[in-house]
Amino acid sequence: MVLLISERAEKISFFGEIFSQNTPAFYVASELAQVLDIISVSPPDIIIIDTLSSTVKVKSIIRKINSVLDNPIIILIVEDKVEKDLIKLSNAFITDDMSKELVEATINVNLRMKNSLAQLSDSNKDLADSLYMLNTLYNTSSQFASTLDKNELIKYMVEGLDKSLSFSLTCTLSFCNESHPILILNSLYDISEELLSAIKLRMIFNYKSLFGANEPPYNLDEESLEVVKYVKYPASKFTFTLFQYDNLFAPISQGDNFFGCIEIFKDTHFSSEDAKCFQTIVQQVALPLKNASLYQEIKETNQKLEKLERLKSEFISIVSHELRTPLTSIKNSLDILHSGRCGEVTSASDKFLSMAKRNVQRLSGIINDLLDLSKIEAGKMDFHFSKIDVHNVIEYVKSTFVNVAKEKGLSLCADETLDLPFVYADSQRLEQVLTNLVSNAIKFTPSGKNITIKSQLINAKDVKIDNCFKELAKKLDGDYIMVSVLDEGIGIAEENLLRAFDKFAQIENSLSRKVGGSGLGLPIAKQLIEAHNGIIWCESQLEKGSKFIFVIPVAEN
Amino acid sequence: MKKILIVDDEQDIVESLKFVLETSDYICYCAYNGEDGLKLAKEIMPDLIILDVMMPKINGYKISRLLKFDNKYKDIPILMLTARSQEEDKLIGEETGADEYITKPFDLDYVMKKVDSYLK
Repeated sequence: MVLLISERAEKISFFGEIFSQNTPAFYVASELAQVLDIISVSPPDIIIIDTLSSTVKVKSIIRKINSVLDNPIIILIVEDKVEKDLIKLSNAFITDDMSKELVEATINVNLRMKNSLAQLSDSNKDLADSLYMLNTLYNTSSQFASTLDKNELIKYMVEGLDKSLSFSLTCTLSFCNESHPILILNSLYDISEELLSAIKLRMIFNYKSLFGANEPPYNLDEESLEVVKYVKYPASKFTFTLFQYDNLFAPISQGDNFFGCIEIFKDTHFSSEDAKCFQTIVQQVALPLKNASLYQEIKETNQKLEKLERLKSEFISIVSHELRTPLTSIKNSLDILHSGRCGEVTSASDKFLSMAKRNVQRLSGIINDLLDLSKIEAGKMDFHFSKIDVHNVIEYVKSTFVNVAKEKGLSLCADETLDLPFVYADSQRLEQVLTNLVSNAIKFTPSGKNITIKSQLINAKDVKIDNCFKELAKKLDGDYIMVSVLDEGIGIAEENLLRAFDKFAQIENSLSRKVGGSGLGLPIAKQLIEAHNGIIWCESQLEKGSKFIFVIPVAEN
Repeated sequence: MKKILIVDDEQDIVESLKFVLETSDYICYCAYNGEDGLKLAKEIMPDLIILDVMMPKINGYKISRLLKFDNKYKDIPILMLTARSQEEDKLIGEETGADEYITKPFDLDYVMKKVDSYLK
């Protein structure tokens, strides 16, 4: 549109001819009031001001126009000589003696310039908008990465949407706490009870329609749905015209995981950019929500496991306690009968009383082992560390078992390196370990064979483990005392070696029943040796024999 | 003849201890809870007490403490029996002044040997 401000009839008709086709639209005004009327209705692309028209006060009109329009294109009709002030205030000049073509060309050039400027300004605005949105998206996604709390994630999502889309209302249906769905409303103005009830119904309908004919993952009804409202300006209220606002809706889900859905309202139109941004943020929050769910699951499972572990230890400790009392009565009764205090013990009754006593002993051993293991696992085992000589431990264990071995027709001997450095250990626990190893060796070795307890000083780099235990050797560093128990027993198959130190994992069940034992000796030994910063492992060949070896660090001087 | 007081809420255990001790010519008095045990101890002034830890009303630790901190009874040897094997129990047992600490299931011959060592 072109506006001519002039009262000279010849000028008006001159331009009237130029714009006779009315492209662009052409208006004429002669005084300020008229000018303002026209520019307030529709801003002209070009304003031509006739400075030669006697009634037109050029400077005041230009000032007025500048105060209403942004960067108007102003062309002045002037004499040959132009005032300096006017040069600054206008974009081009036309003189009375210019030909119609020249005037038209001048106007066209300026029109094109005006259009280019408008386009540039639009592009700039779009660019700035995109940049802002990108920045918001970036900030929002960094926030998403910063937490594993689902409610925080939902909060960040809404904040991100607010910054990038400046909504009037968002309704977020959150199933972050599965058993307890929440409708979170972030709104500019307050929401009346009636409107809230309508919003609830709408969200429930939207939610159900997401699943089509299928059953939605969670049940939802209006009464039980809890609502949390965050209102920016509580002084004002939304009305039902809210539903005429432009809106966007999306589910918040990741694969099979459904976390809720969100609807967002705005009193102006959402652009396609806005819709893209909305989708992006809603999609972006789903993955961290899934991670948060997994994290929560792991946490809960861990807590459950810890609790179970604790209960197990407590259970074992209580049961063992309860078992000991009746066991004591049985043992006492057997002892009394066996002692002959209640009458003569025939050879047959001696046989069966001995059998009963042996089994009471065995049961009592199992209970002790169970208690020990549960104590170690619960971290309640007390250790009394001091500098000790391994030789004394070996001697003690040897003396305990030498007769048992002899009775079974086995030779039990020690092959010790003399004058070994001391170790920092609990001698009682070390005796327990060695006792377990030697008693196993006796159990699993047929008569006529040998069992040897060996001790030596060894450096970590000389500890060679070739089988499934070789990872253990990596833990070692420095000097160690190595104690091994070698037998010529039934041996353990390669594939069973690693399991030897598992709880209740005696390899040949039938055999272990024959030889007795709780199956806890080796796991206990392993835990005790580890408490000494040592390692324990075994080497074995079926039918040839086994070698159980442990190392514990030499004590520092 | 020496008098021995046996305090344990497990009747079967009391019975077996009593049987063996009586065959060795000791006179046995029995109580089946802490309260009776303490009362009986003060009444009969035994030469030795065999005392269980876990008992209703007053537990063995408390009885032992009450007797060992009383000049009148402090010289009576106390053998503590317990089904628990926790190290801390052992410590509490020692703090309460018990003279011996025997873990269940115990060996009757071992108990007899201990009793004899205090009384013969």
